[in-house]
Amino acid sequence: MSHHLFLLSPSDTPLYSLTHYSAKASQVVPSPLSANLPSWSTSAFAGTLTALSGATSVVQASSQGGGVRMGGGQDPHVIQMIANASLDVIEEVVRRDNGMYLKSVDRFNEWTVSAFITPGNMKFVLLHETKNDEGIRAFFTEVWELYVKTMVNPFHTAHRVIVSTVFDGRVRASAKKYL
Amino acid sequence: MSALPPSRFSVLSSSSAELLSPTNSSSRFSLTSAPSVATATTGTPKPLSRPNIYDRPLNKTRSAEVSASAFAFLFSEVVQYMQKRVSGINDLERRLNTLGYRIGTRVLELMVWRTESASKAPKREIRFLPVIMSIHTNVWKAVFGKPADAIEKSVQNEDEYMIIDNEPVITRNISVPRDMSQLSCSSFTAGIVEAVLDGLGFPARVTAHNTPVDDFPLRNTILIKLDKSVLEREELFK
Repeated sequence: MSHHLFLLSPSDTPLYSLTHYSAKASQVVPSPLSANLPSWSTSAFAGTLTALSGATSVVQASSQGGGVRMGGGQDPHVIQMIANASLDVIEEVVRRDNGMYLKSVDRFNEWTVSAFITPGNMKFVLLHETKNDEGIRAFFTEVWELYVKTMVNPFHTAHRVIVSTVFDGRVRASAKKYL
Repeated sequence: MSALPPSRFSVLSSSSAELLSPTNSSSRFSLTSAPSVATATTGTPKPLSRPNIYDRPLNKTRSAEVSASAFAFLFSEVVQYMQKRVSGINDLERRLNTLGYRIGTRVLELMVWRTESASKAPKREIRFLPVIMSIHTNVWKAVFGKPADAIEKSVQNEDEYMIIDNEPVITRNISVPRDMSQLSCSSFTAGIVEAVLDGLGFPARVTAHNTPVDDFPLRNTILIKLDKSVLEREELFK
């Protein structure tokens, strides 16, 4: 089971992203649609198409007999697209909801999108597959603290990508702890 | 030079490439031996490395307060530095405003973090009036240690608000020469206010104006002219 975190600046520039594979078992329910999809398509967009149509993953039989997992909703570009698409919903909610933690704000196939909006309009977007409200809230709170510490540093400017290895390590540690 | 991919550097002669290469720099600029650079490139923290900012708590402590004179000297230097690089009063005010803006974005995040991070469900302000109230009290307290003196709403224009400070801390030791009487160094404060409003989603143009009265010769007004979108959004809440 994986989690995908994106930190987006007020102008929607991605400043940091993290993919976290949780040790906890995944209970993904396969979508009925996925069974009906052709798995022979080899076009460049096959992964995107299958992901959009609701398939969780497509297993392609290789000539060696082993199954190679490819495409599906786990592709990095599909993940990114889902995260970006959820921004519309988030911006809508942000105008009328005064909470910073927006839980399960959007849903796409197997992915649920939760978000956290800082007062300065930074958006933390997390894609997850299972329900874990309390854990995600605690995770966001820690990431928020780390982010505030990053941004009070004079050598960090608002739209610069966060490259600090310590920041990365801390975020990974709290992901391991809560997700 | 053999370690470098030759295709990239084919334009440069070997001697100029040597000059550009940090490893071959003269002893005067021996960056490679500096400990901070070494840790950055290898990624392994040395025992000598400074404590990093992620280990420090963000909460305010008594010892973290800075004396007003230290600040006054710093701000005096800021104004002098800027003045050498501008062509007029407007330019100087604009630069002070930009400086304030950068500070404002940080003030906002830090201030709200300090009040809200302990809460189970942290909140942001989404209505304009609570925001301007919180600028008047909380932001002023966080930055200057005291709340501002008044908030006024313009009678003629409904998109204009004013925050009034009878004795601004930052201009306490500043005497503006007569030929620059238009200048208000509180443009710096205006920048902070603009950043806070912008961050919370209330774009506005914020300017500072001297409005002396008999009792308060340093009295300053921060004028907030709200963007049209803010008024439209406020209408939706009604």
